[in-house]
Amino acid sequence: MELKEFNNQVHPTPDYPSPYSSQHSLRLRTVPAQDTSAVQCDWASPPEDAEDSNEPQNLRELPLHMSLKRAVWQVQQMKVPVVSSSWNIKQSKTFHRFCEVAKYILSYFVLWKRGIQRIGGHFGGGVQSYFLFLRFLVILNFLSCLLIAAFVLIPSIVFRSMSFNSTITLTVNLTDIETCLQYDPKPDPLMVFFTYFLDLVSGTGFMEYSYLFYGYYNNSVIESNGFSYNIPLAYLLTAAFYFLFCLICMIIRMGGTARLVIVTGGGAVGGYSMLVFTGWDHGLQGDRATKLKQNNLRHRLQVDLEEERLKKKAASLTLGQTVSLYALRVFLNLVVLILIGATLYGIAEATQFSQSRKTTGFVGLLLQYLPSMVITASNFVVPLLCDKISLLEKYSPSTTVILALLRAVFLRLVSLGVLLYTLWEQITCKGEINSENCTPCNYYHDQYKCWETRVGQEMYKLTLFDFLITIATLILVEFPRRIVVDHCSCKLTQWVGRQEFLVAPNVLALVYSQTVVWTGALFCPLLPFINTIKFIFFYYCKKITLFQNCQPATRNFRSTTSNLFFLLVLLFGWMLSSVVLLYSVAKINPSYGCGPFRFYTAMWEVVPGAVEMLSSTNKEFLFYIGSQKFSIPLFIFSCVLLCYVSALTSVHGKSVALLKSQCKLEQRDKQFLVRQIEELNATMQKLQHEPQQPQRETEPFYHAATQWNQHNNYAFDPHEDPKPY
Amino acid sequence: TKQEILMAHKIFSELQDRENGPYSSRVSMEKIHTLPELKSNPFRKRICHVFSTSDMKDGSLSFEDFLDLLSAFSDSATLEIKSHYAFRIFDFDDDGTLDARDLEKLVNSLTGETDDTRLTGEEMRQLISNILEESDIDKDGTVNLSEFQHVISRSPDFVSSFKIVL
Repeated sequence: MELKEFNNQVHPTPDYPSPYSSQHSLRLRTVPAQDTSAVQCDWASPPEDAEDSNEPQNLRELPLHMSLKRAVWQVQQMKVPVVSSSWNIKQSKTFHRFCEVAKYILSYFVLWKRGIQRIGGHFGGGVQSYFLFLRFLVILNFLSCLLIAAFVLIPSIVFRSMSFNSTITLTVNLTDIETCLQYDPKPDPLMVFFTYFLDLVSGTGFMEYSYLFYGYYNNSVIESNGFSYNIPLAYLLTAAFYFLFCLICMIIRMGGTARLVIVTGGGAVGGYSMLVFTGWDHGLQGDRATKLKQNNLRHRLQVDLEEERLKKKAASLTLGQTVSLYALRVFLNLVVLILIGATLYGIAEATQFSQSRKTTGFVGLLLQYLPSMVITASNFVVPLLCDKISLLEKYSPSTTVILALLRAVFLRLVSLGVLLYTLWEQITCKGEINSENCTPCNYYHDQYKCWETRVGQEMYKLTLFDFLITIATLILVEFPRRIVVDHCSCKLTQWVGRQEFLVAPNVLALVYSQTVVWTGALFCPLLPFINTIKFIFFYYCKKITLFQNCQPATRNFRSTTSNLFFLLVLLFGWMLSSVVLLYSVAKINPSYGCGPFRFYTAMWEVVPGAVEMLSSTNKEFLFYIGSQKFSIPLFIFSCVLLCYVSALTSVHGKSVALLKSQCKLEQRDKQFLVRQIEELNATMQKLQHEPQQPQRETEPFYHAATQWNQHNNYAFDPHEDPKPY
Repeated sequence: TKQEILMAHKIFSELQDRENGPYSSRVSMEKIHTLPELKSNPFRKRICHVFSTSDMKDGSLSFEDFLDLLSAFSDSATLEIKSHYAFRIFDFDDDGTLDARDLEKLVNSLTGETDDTRLTGEEMRQLISNILEESDIDKDGTVNLSEFQHVISRSPDFVSSFKIVL
């Protein structure tokens, strides 16, 4: 009898009173566990050392009380035969335990794990996703600077200090281009401290002729004792591998995020129930965090409900109102485009102006930083204006957020693109190599004696300026704002309130700096290293400002879809910088006076030269891979793979839709059956009452009520004598 | 793991020591509510009721119940266990399904119990009808366990948010 009850418990039904009743019988059977220490020893042994490997997992997955589980386990022990322990099972168990221990140890090595968990607990998932993104970029930059250091920097340092014999292949007739070879950036030995600081900040002077920039590296091929190291080739291939490595890291991370997004349907479907059922974070501690979370949830629910009401209202607009709304939106988009266009023109002008002037001292420094200042100012002002404009456009709140993000991204990346385009124009004389300024050397030699170093310097200045502005904003804007809000209780400050940590603009700033680093990596090999240090600083500074100055955002950020969006924007920045890389490697003539690619007509030419020097079998192999015989079948094979995977996706999608419609059909069947049962019950009830009142059946239905009343009144027959006895 | 059990036992016996009287194996609900992890959780009463196996239905927990609670809220509990217990915690009237009254109490716990933090009546009605429309597949007006688990399975954050670490 008790076994049946155990079986009932193994397949639990939502029948809550039963555990209490069977508790009595179980308590009688099992050893009374009044002493808690005895419970400890007793419980620790069973599910872990059970003989059968499947049983303990099932037992752990049962949502039952402890004593019930113990009883079930005892029953199972009775059923299991004695001879069941085998070597295989013991091996798999030790392996599992080893994996758990390894995971536990590895979790110590995750960077900043505790800090980011604390941030997530206090400020929510959106802010946490910013810090996770920052951590990803720090690790990416660190690994890439290790890559660059290993293959380019350290060999250069070693070979320079050991002054090996190096051979330089000279295959170019040098007579025409003597002017091009003039490049002497060696610093003045007597330097004033002020110029030292200026040089540090603008990358000229002593900084220019150092490992920081392209111009310092030799185009030497080191050969000694049968060991040869081709520095130009190493430089180029390291840059290429750096880009590929970043691409692979991004795609892997995007794959994980995209899978989540697709599985959960983008988070838009089933939004309300999911929010209500899964919205509460039980790990939150403290009254303040709880109140904040409650405020968050309430605000989010109210915003979603408001959005739904707006949608209903928008769907019910008349034709005239709709047309006028769309016309207004088109006009405002034009305004935004004009604004962005004006900004880009301003950036181009500033770049040209600063490149052509050459003054020293503080004014010269300001002039050099003019493009950076214009870009930063526009990145600050234009999104503010776009926000004000979007108030007039009357989109729904989520569309407004997405549109603002897209506009900000467009502004940032295109402004960087315009800067690079202006530089290119000046370096290659607008693409015409045969124009007057560019004749002997194929680039504008007077201004740009070593153009790669100049481009590297621009990127270095952008990075540095970005860093300085962020630190300055922190110190000069956020801390004072908190001090003012906390101590001064006038209405204006209360209305302005504490700073909110806005995730989207911060993430776009990270994407922008990473794009700058990618663009400059070819010309300034130490830039990833500088960027790693900068991002580490960012982490600590942003964390401090978050906890000291910010209040949690009232609008919560949908983390899963926005993670994918940020990675997409990062990928777009990567594509922009890879275009720059490919163009400068393939088309523009490297400087004659500096750098590892001194006497080549294009940087790319190092590779064919090196391939020529390989042994013949290797050469043939490489030629075969590059030839059509190999690449066309490879292409066809990858197309087939793509078709297969997309067919699989569509089949899965269709089966999901089929199951959903089947679910709906079943519920309709269920409703139909329930109705039938009710009708059957009603007729059964009627049939039961039939023998007692046979005349009732002949009466029509609508008289039934009056008949019933009259039947009641038979005791008071009007024809009877009303007198009592 | 063994260390976690020992730590749980230590915390539990600390709560027990404050009880005067014989060595009782049960700790009352109010004492459990003094734990820092549960002190501000709006569902603390429901959690104690769900995990309690006492005959008096007063929400008191023995050490076994306490371990049950910790294991359900731990990292190693599966999605099924967590969703089962979450369903029972949200079922305020213990009838096995989540009807409109349960949902209303749930939303009020989520947004705050005081008057100025609640949603208005109109918003509440709209919200509850939306929830039922989305998750009630058999259209019986209530959310049962399998419908609840269907919604939970589509959320990526549930497992990490249904977690209490001592």
